[in-house]
Amino acid sequence: MAEASEGAASAAEGDESRPLRVALLGNPNTGKTTLFNRICGLRSKTANFPGSTVESHVGSALDGATPLELIDLPGIYGLRLELPESKLCLDCLEGRVTGCDPDAVLLVLDATNLARGLALGASVLRRGRQCVAAVTMTDVASRGGLSLDMKRLSARLGCPAVAASGRSGEGIGQLLHALAESAREFRLGQQSAGGESLQRTSLAAARSAAGVPSSEPGSRESADWAAGVLAEVAGSSSAANDAHDLMTDRLDHAFTHPLLGLVTFAAVMTALFGTIFWLAGFPMDAIDALFTSLGGLVERIIPPGLIQELLRDGIVGGIAGTVVFIPQIALLFFLLSLLEDSGYLARAAFAVDRNMRRVGLPGQAFIPLLSSHACALPGIMSARLIPDRRDRLATILVAPFLSCSARVPVYVLLTSLLFQGRPFMAGAAFVGCYLLGATAAFASAFIARKTILRGASRPMMLELPPYRIPSIRSALIAAGDRSLMFLRSAGGVILAICVLMWWLQAFPRASESPETPVAANAAETLPAPTEAEAARAQRSASFAGMLGRTAEPIFAPLGFDRQVTVSVLASFLAREVFVGSMKVLVAAGENDAEMDEGTVAAMREAKRDDGSPVFTTATSASLLVFYVLAMQCLPTLAVTRRETGSWKWALLQLGWMTAIAYCAAFVTHQLVVAAVGAP
Amino acid sequence: MVQPATTQSNARIPLNQLKRGQRATVDCSALTELPERERCLLAAMGMADACKVRVCRSGSPCIIQVDTTRIGLSRELASRITVTLCDRE
Repeated sequence: MAEASEGAASAAEGDESRPLRVALLGNPNTGKTTLFNRICGLRSKTANFPGSTVESHVGSALDGATPLELIDLPGIYGLRLELPESKLCLDCLEGRVTGCDPDAVLLVLDATNLARGLALGASVLRRGRQCVAAVTMTDVASRGGLSLDMKRLSARLGCPAVAASGRSGEGIGQLLHALAESAREFRLGQQSAGGESLQRTSLAAARSAAGVPSSEPGSRESADWAAGVLAEVAGSSSAANDAHDLMTDRLDHAFTHPLLGLVTFAAVMTALFGTIFWLAGFPMDAIDALFTSLGGLVERIIPPGLIQELLRDGIVGGIAGTVVFIPQIALLFFLLSLLEDSGYLARAAFAVDRNMRRVGLPGQAFIPLLSSHACALPGIMSARLIPDRRDRLATILVAPFLSCSARVPVYVLLTSLLFQGRPFMAGAAFVGCYLLGATAAFASAFIARKTILRGASRPMMLELPPYRIPSIRSALIAAGDRSLMFLRSAGGVILAICVLMWWLQAFPRASESPETPVAANAAETLPAPTEAEAARAQRSASFAGMLGRTAEPIFAPLGFDRQVTVSVLASFLAREVFVGSMKVLVAAGENDAEMDEGTVAAMREAKRDDGSPVFTTATSASLLVFYVLAMQCLPTLAVTRRETGSWKWALLQLGWMTAIAYCAAFVTHQLVVAAVGAP
Repeated sequence: MVQPATTQSNARIPLNQLKRGQRATVDCSALTELPERERCLLAAMGMADACKVRVCRSGSPCIIQVDTTRIGLSRELASRITVTLCDRE
């Protein structure tokens, strides 16, 4: 009864018009989220309740005409463990979380691991909430020779028990009806004399009288009770379980083998990211084409001028810069969800844990870091898989060092510039860029874990869930959910920054070319200013150009002149902008038609104000190293801020990466100058 | 003095010294060697005092099975959990 009264003093929300609210609670890997997805479908969204960093999902459903609000809480092993997800669940049960005070609890029990689920269930039942038990995986248990008597289970738990499957939809209607009934009963009890407090106390007392223990999972009392209930409701299991164990043993042996496990891991990850690079390319090209057409449409229907430029370069460009990431994010989370559901992801984390620990990161960090090779944004978002806060922060901080796909065009351009006519060397330099990024990431993680994130990591204690056929529906919902979350959280910031960057480059306006008599007379002999020349003039006169001139002394030790400095600053928003900037930069005096084919040749010919070449070997090498290591991606900053909940970590990430990039580029420049003997 | 896993069936030995396929009982006092946070989590995952475990992957890290739950354990944890080998493997 003490449990029931613990939170009774907390104020009920009192809004009787809101839908009946149901919280889903259960162990990890019980099929809870699959059940939630089956019930709510697309009518769900991710939620972070106040005071909690742990993610939940909120969705809605109907039992006939009765609307229900469902909250999918994170999977837990116990209510009183020192884990944020346990704290959130306990606080929810006690009505201490705004927006999460449930009228009923849906207790999800895995039929193949019923004793453990029951042990958690006992501690939930004793909190005096209206409960309904959903028993999942009954088909798997049945194949193993285990049948469960739901009526007996219901009698022992003191609440309705329903066999339900998130995959087939079996029992969902019955479950919703039982939930609506229980929640309604609780709502009515709130209005009677004594209200919620009395109702919860009497429910807890009734369950206590029925022998439900109040102790936490892991205690002898709880284990004995769960074993007793299991013995009463379950038939005996057959040898089919042993056959299943044997198959799982063999797969585990392969996937977690010190050598074979790593080879399998490398093969799976290569296939994963190969698929992402290949498949995401099609929708990304389509998005590019769509927004290019939209830009063209803006040019046609809006007269030339500031409004047109703002819409075309600021708004359309900004939205395009956000939406273009969606295919990679959606595809990554779709495939990761399939892998996680299949049971492989936990084995992969197990296989690489020992190697990752050497740099202070857990095995689970490998997925976010590998994902960052496609794009740092989904990489950082997938760091949520890491349970320990310090490990998670260290992973987020170093993820952008890994060479993402946006760096590839820059690498191609600069390695071609450095090693023209030597494809082998250019290829080796390309690989070197990836290695440099990875080295910087692991070294930074090591330093971070020894300094600002000092403290022992939690030793690996990882449940390896059973191998199962993954749910496509859940994977699609996860992909859509993550994509929407990205648009909601980072989209606005990216768009705002795009408009700001446009403004910096558009103002003040460069004066029109003076129509002097001499110029007019020379018009027949001199070529008219090209668009590239006009763009270059505008950029030089703009605030961004002024910033470039101001910043030139800072970048001079790296071998960058004013023009390169402006391009580096212009690509601060997104590093891939650098290639476009280069085309504009070197196009002066060149024929537009030749520009695309000869950008590298034109860069070789580009001159500084004093007539010396802009891109010496030292400058090109220094620039390449700078782009490998520098942040140069504002969407990443926005996502880091969201995932860490603070600008502090985002700014630290920017400062650290910029400092490392600057120092490494400086050293590279000095070394190459010393080796080649010319600036 | 730690006994090799195969010499005495009732000897108390660290979990990480068991061989693949061997079964053992977790000693009542075994988990008290662990920090409370890890001990509580392990117990809630199913690895409580006197429970039976089966080794699915030996060594460090290792994989053990408790009831139907498989748990991957680091060397740091497995070496601090003492078990008694079951007579029937």
